[in-house]
Amino acid sequence: MEQFLNVTQKLFQGFGENCIIFAVTLLAAIPLGLLVSFGSRSRFAPLRLLVKTVVWIIRGTPLMLQLFVVFYVTPLLFGGIKFDRMNAALIAFIINYSAYFSEIFRGGIEAIPRGQYEAGQVLGMKKSQIFFKIVLLQVVKRITAPISNEVITLVKDTSLARVIAIPEILKQAENFSAQGLIWPLFYTGAFFLIFCGVLTLLFSYIEKKLDYYKG
Amino acid sequence: MSFLNVESIKKSFGKNEVLKDISFSLERGEVLAIIGSSGSGKTTLLRCLNFLETPQSGKITVNGNVLFDGSDPAKKTEAEIRKNRLHFGLVFQSFNLFPQYKVIENITLAPLLAAKEQIKTNGEYMGEKTYKKAAEAINQNAERLLSKVGLLEKKNDYPCNLSGGQQQRVAIARALALNPDVLCFDEPTSALDPELTGEVLSVIRGLKSSDSTMIVVTHEIGFAHDVADKIIFMDEGVIAEQGTPQQVIDNPQSQRTKTFLSRFNQFGD
Repeated sequence: MEQFLNVTQKLFQGFGENCIIFAVTLLAAIPLGLLVSFGSRSRFAPLRLLVKTVVWIIRGTPLMLQLFVVFYVTPLLFGGIKFDRMNAALIAFIINYSAYFSEIFRGGIEAIPRGQYEAGQVLGMKKSQIFFKIVLLQVVKRITAPISNEVITLVKDTSLARVIAIPEILKQAENFSAQGLIWPLFYTGAFFLIFCGVLTLLFSYIEKKLDYYKG
Repeated sequence: MSFLNVESIKKSFGKNEVLKDISFSLERGEVLAIIGSSGSGKTTLLRCLNFLETPQSGKITVNGNVLFDGSDPAKKTEAEIRKNRLHFGLVFQSFNLFPQYKVIENITLAPLLAAKEQIKTNGEYMGEKTYKKAAEAINQNAERLLSKVGLLEKKNDYPCNLSGGQQQRVAIARALALNPDVLCFDEPTSALDPELTGEVLSVIRGLKSSDSTMIVVTHEIGFAHDVADKIIFMDEGVIAEQGTPQQVIDNPQSQRTKTFLSRFNQFGD
């Protein structure tokens, strides 16, 4: 029993790290992703090409590799800069998830019929007003499902941070298994399951909230 | 000089010349109906008037204000284009209501934003000093317009719960809320079931009696005949014939008009 409490406490400690990565990544990557989606829709071809190439590289390489690059390679390239482990992880996660979110936003924005923009235009609205007052709300409704998918993936991806020795929950469990205690590794599954369960409920609540209109 | 003057408008998309030298004029309170087969450039003309498209050349004047002059090399800023657009209103074929807003909010959204902006820049909106007062006036005006189109009891409904005809009537009220000099309709009944066109057409008829200046692109020849003071028949980017309904529809002179009208042998019923 004492051992169970001890393990639980350590895993909770580790899961705190996962939660930090999760929360900060979400808060930063959603607005950044929106910005990137504007870039990939820009009428200025060089910018569009640049953004698309970056998104291709980010989505085309493993997140684990990106963690290594940010933590180990950046200091080699730029002598002075050295991130602490958590900052390196956050940077890699934010960049990675911004790329994915940007594509979801792009799809959502492009799915809005032209007529909605034109209706705003003939009513004398500014571009920014059309985007924030007309288009964005409709985009949010359309992308709730793909975003929830990505958010749930993020919960589990946070455990990748252990490759740069962040003491997150799987790392903690591995420490126990190194001492011959295997079950904490499987116990971690419960943490993820419960967290993702809560998120699933939250997203179906949001979807219901947005169900008051169609189209 | 007429209230609305359109002179030598030309518009091409790539090599495709859609409008070849379109000129016409309209007096205040008159209704112009534009007829013609699909692809004749009717919709493009309306879109040029609403600055959704920029013509290559030509001139558009409303009430003495030159809104567009193709010979003027200075590029218009977004703010100028927005200001010019407000002289015209446009009702779309596919309504284009904002689905996430209630009927009344669809109508008040743009005026409220305009009020906020204007109060910010010069401290007042149409004589209303505070936003709250302006908002009240905008709301009252929206309710007045909704009762005009017969939908006041639907003001808190969402567009998805309305029929097509009702949605189009809301779209008309929305366009009227900004008090345009010229209200344009782009085939306002083409997306509707036949039994729903009547209610929309009768709303447009009602507007005629309240002296709105209107341009209606339509396939409803009978309606055009009844309502319009002036008819333009367009064919392949040119005005093939124009005149009163009696001239153009009852006694067409051009062969192209005759051919077009012969396809509507039931017109006038």
